[in-house]
Amino acid sequence: MAGRKVGIVGAGAVGATAAYSLVMTGSCEEIILFDIAEGVAQGKAIDMGQAAHYSPKGVRVTAAKCAADIKDCDIVVITAGVPRKGEMTRADLLMINAKIMKEVVEDVAKNSPDAIIICVSNPLDVMTYVIHKMTGWERHRIIGMAGALDGARMAYQIYQKLGYGMTQTGDLVIGEHGQNMIPLPQKVQIGSVNASELLTKEEMKQIIERTKNGGAEIVKHLGTSGYYGPGRAVAHMVEAILDNARIVVSSSVLLDGEYGYSDVTAGVPVILGRNGVAEIIEMELDEETKMKFKVSIDSIREGIDTLRENKFFN
Amino acid sequence: MAKGRKVTVVGTGNFGSTVAFILAMNGACHNVVLRGRDIDKARGKALDMSQAANAARQHTVVRAARGPEDIAGSDIVVITAGAPRTPGMSRDDLLTKNAAIVKKYALEIKEYAPESIIIVVSNPLDAMTYVAQKVTGFPRERVLGMAGILDAARMAHFIYEQLEYGAGQIRATVMGGHGDTMVPLPKFTTVAGVPIEDLLDAEQIGEIVQKTRNGGAEIVNLLGDGSAYYAPAKSTAIMVESMLRDTKQIHSCAIMLENDYGYSGIVSGVPVMIGAGGGEEVIHMTLKPLQQERFAKSVAAVQEMVDKLYELKFFDEEA
Repeated sequence: MAGRKVGIVGAGAVGATAAYSLVMTGSCEEIILFDIAEGVAQGKAIDMGQAAHYSPKGVRVTAAKCAADIKDCDIVVITAGVPRKGEMTRADLLMINAKIMKEVVEDVAKNSPDAIIICVSNPLDVMTYVIHKMTGWERHRIIGMAGALDGARMAYQIYQKLGYGMTQTGDLVIGEHGQNMIPLPQKVQIGSVNASELLTKEEMKQIIERTKNGGAEIVKHLGTSGYYGPGRAVAHMVEAILDNARIVVSSSVLLDGEYGYSDVTAGVPVILGRNGVAEIIEMELDEETKMKFKVSIDSIREGIDTLRENKFFN
Repeated sequence: MAKGRKVTVVGTGNFGSTVAFILAMNGACHNVVLRGRDIDKARGKALDMSQAANAARQHTVVRAARGPEDIAGSDIVVITAGAPRTPGMSRDDLLTKNAAIVKKYALEIKEYAPESIIIVVSNPLDAMTYVAQKVTGFPRERVLGMAGILDAARMAHFIYEQLEYGAGQIRATVMGGHGDTMVPLPKFTTVAGVPIEDLLDAEQIGEIVQKTRNGGAEIVNLLGDGSAYYAPAKSTAIMVESMLRDTKQIHSCAIMLENDYGYSGIVSGVPVMIGAGGGEEVIHMTLKPLQQERFAKSVAAVQEMVDKLYELKFFDEEA
């Protein structure tokens, strides 16, 4: 990884915030932004390049004129897609975004054939699956950003409830990135104390509900999806990969027998390192969680099946 | 307008210097004061660190105290002073020697910085925390001992060595005294939320617990001329920063127990919420019978040391 170059396809709010976060921490050497809307990538690249003056380390930020300019990247973050609007469900986005994804992936596969792809487009698990199918790459190189964000949202809800323990709270969320996500507050710790010691069952339930509703709540206020949380979550994953940090981050990956499922993507804890997913961690799930996980899988498969029925993969 | 914060570090050995250096590098507070017996050595280190702070573009100024009056106005005083543990020496051997040193500085703090929060790191840790609390008469939330953060960091490192992933994400828990009777709690230990019992077998966990208990001694034996200070100093700096920034984070610390975990009037390591007021709240966890038994043993070991100090009429001299 000589150049530590990160490509960001889709320089909208999430992509740009991810890039900005990487510039501010100096986590990579070069970032190249691409956006289909003319001028957006160019303008933001210049703005960030100037902000880099105050970054602890210099990061070059450039704009790609065409998708083919996203070349020789170590990591490509794909945020391309239509954003979710007020009433729109993730499923509504499915066909539109799958088609956009197909075009983007063809370019990435051609110009950055050794990259690791981080998918951020929604519906997340299905889009991650689409990338697997389109590229045919080894599964460890294609990762969907899901638990990194949902986990942060859960930790936020726990903090809101407790009023202490900020940055010390565990962040485990598995399953679908969407309405069927499975926040697991009962598993995490605040500092060294298990959440179950500090939160009642009722509070735990509220935290789960609020976490699941975390994205929609922001949409309600903003009229569009959040991007600070997602942007920083993407940057966190990029840093883990570039630094070969081998840290555990819940992410959407193609399952091959893990947790009893195959040929479907879903969020599970994985170890992120130089090659993307170094290992999938198989936790012991209780019966209730297993059932919820099945609901998640069914929902993701429904999305994949919709694409199949529409002959998307043909 | 609120004034800049001031942190005094008593003891200018490796441990105290490293604490001060971390605070200066992070710009954690505006003033750091080094208080040591050898004033020139303290001045030299203070100059060196102030210059490093400038290189790091931080605003922290490090000064040496020329006398006890220079610690006045400290928000936090860290007591690192004490004889170091040498190979073969148990923590208990240090007891009377270091109790006298801690007492000396505690009296200074009581006189010159009566509003400060004290963090004790001198060993044997729990007994020295007890001494500092008794000698100053400060409320318990203003006298904490640094132990659990370090022990948990050591445990987390040994878990990492076994797993080879998850560095920085392992949340380990260690309660009880900082010594041979510490109580590592693998049942309350996770890697990014994943319980270590899903990742390691009982034998591996047993080894990790043993290594954690032996963590300090292992380094003492390797170094040959003193004890560890990087991890201890970082652990101390975490407590300092938690107070300065009022983070209300939970860290395992030594504190005078008052109807906590079934004990009163003795110091031991328990999870404490740390904020601007010091140890603002002791967090109560449900311990299993075996854990309770180990905790009891750990408390008894500290009680024994405290009793020894009473036998020697250590506290009477105050009157």
